[in-house]
Amino acid sequence: MTAEKIETTQPESTELASKKYHKRSAFVAIWNRLKKNKGAILGLFILIIVTLLAIFAPVIYSYETDVIEQNVTNRLKPPSAEHWCGTDDLGRDILARIVFGARYSLAIGVVSVIISLIFGVTFGAAAGYVGGAFEDVIMRITDIFSSIPSILMAIAIVSALGKSTFNLMVAVGVSSTPTFVRVARAAVLSVRGEEYVESARAIGMRDWKIILVHILPNCVSQIIVQATLRVAQAIIASAGLSFLGLGVPAPAPEWGSMLSAGRAYIRNSSYLTIFPGLAIMITVLSLNLIGDGLRDAIDPKLKR
Amino acid sequence: MHRYIFKRLLMLIPVLLGVVFIIFFIMDLAPGDPVYMVAGDQATEEELDALREQLGLSGNIFTRYFRYVNNMLHGDFGTSFVTKRDVFKTYMERLPNTIRLASLAMIIAIVVSIPLGIIAAVHQNSLKDTASMVLSLLGLSMPNFWLGLLLILVFSLRLGWLPSGGYTGFRSIILPALTVASGLAALLTRTTRSSMLDVIRQDYLRTARSKGVTERKVINKHALCNALIPIITVFGIQFSNVLGGSALAETVFSWPGVGRLVVDAINQRDIPTVTGALVMTTMLVSIVNLVVDIVYAYVDPRIKAQYTK
Repeated sequence: MTAEKIETTQPESTELASKKYHKRSAFVAIWNRLKKNKGAILGLFILIIVTLLAIFAPVIYSYETDVIEQNVTNRLKPPSAEHWCGTDDLGRDILARIVFGARYSLAIGVVSVIISLIFGVTFGAAAGYVGGAFEDVIMRITDIFSSIPSILMAIAIVSALGKSTFNLMVAVGVSSTPTFVRVARAAVLSVRGEEYVESARAIGMRDWKIILVHILPNCVSQIIVQATLRVAQAIIASAGLSFLGLGVPAPAPEWGSMLSAGRAYIRNSSYLTIFPGLAIMITVLSLNLIGDGLRDAIDPKLKR
Repeated sequence: MHRYIFKRLLMLIPVLLGVVFIIFFIMDLAPGDPVYMVAGDQATEEELDALREQLGLSGNIFTRYFRYVNNMLHGDFGTSFVTKRDVFKTYMERLPNTIRLASLAMIIAIVVSIPLGIIAAVHQNSLKDTASMVLSLLGLSMPNFWLGLLLILVFSLRLGWLPSGGYTGFRSIILPALTVASGLAALLTRTTRSSMLDVIRQDYLRTARSKGVTERKVINKHALCNALIPIITVFGIQFSNVLGGSALAETVFSWPGVGRLVVDAINQRDIPTVTGALVMTTMLVSIVNLVVDIVYAYVDPRIKAQYTK
């Protein structure tokens, strides 16, 4: 009885171990290639710093006194030892606002991409897997969404839903969904005909389970690369909407709205415009470096 | 080829109908009844009903959608709630300014990016390659409205060479065009480089070289012609982003184009202008994409051959 049990369980455990080993080795191989890419490591380093600053912002500065509280006697002070990036028109420390602003930008970038991932990957994977008329309908709807310039669509959505951080995330997320529908569909199409998918179908596995367990894990690398690059674009898009006055409501320290507020003082106090813009650029640059590095590491054939 | 163009034109109709519906649906989500905005608080219920009928705001979303499409087919895109002017006329007055801006931006992007991409590919892994890649990465990572502000700071306020906003002749278009061009140039440089790298080591180029064709001719004629296809594709796709992105650049430079028309209309809750401007901009983008696909078919003899049989 015991011997029989051992006999039947052994091949399964070997298979499981080999699967785990395969997954680990694939991850290690990608990481080994990624860490040779100086740009990607620089990007990763910058992103870790920005993320740590965002997480520990309340430890470094006080939200109430440094970020929100107005101090008219301290207004428009140029960069100094006390205020490294100067103070704004309401006497608030610009660096403190930039550090807290990282929380908004990163959160908006990541959540909006998660929103577009949920919708994009669901519809894209379903379209690629089911095919036929269903695929046609999904892809035509995607065509319709992609023909509207994405920033204009985001502007329209946020103006209809009202100004709030969540609505900004929804607007940016919806406007970048078509990209993920296309990426997920293409990725699913590339593995749909593989033997392991046919075997799963042959043993009577349900379609949604095949997509979830067998197809998506094999497409995940392409989706991750696209997601990293889209977070970068989402940060720029959300800063743009805030710049137009359609983003995070004042007095929250969002980078785009800080740029917009600094515009009026650009002649004599250009630091109000320079520093928040630099913060956006550095964060977006780090994500672009990681995205490019990941793409090369995951698919070395694409490397130039 | 004519069949291909005709087929693509036919496919444009459902896409545009869908676009109108989506824009209609989004604008319908806006809270509050727009009729109050036009009539004011003092209007009676009868006056509001009459105005709703007059402005085409009565009925459910589908009724209004079909009425809008019907009017649209007759060239009527509604009347602005704020200026009381015909939306189509206002849009057409602004369009030449945006076209001017987008065209110059695209010319700048091509003039800068294609040579830069070629140099980077020909001298792969050299200092020139690294420099052009760093430049293009910076261009992609920089929000264009921030670049616009920096250009104003340097060239208008510090040096006083160029105007900081408005439309006052050719000099006033330079800074906005550079702003809009930056992202596109960055992307095109990367596309040109990677596309050139794909073809640069092909056998037919080796053959051309061995026949004694000069390196310059090999790159400019044999390699670039074949590398152009992905470049044209990216260019077509990016036209939509140029038009969209110009909304921000137009706001920074107070440029009287359609992007700013949309932003102003949204701030004033002028729904007919927002809907009309978005629909017309999307039509324009779709038509440009169609033209790009046709050019694409002409440039690539393989695609042309499929349709000339």
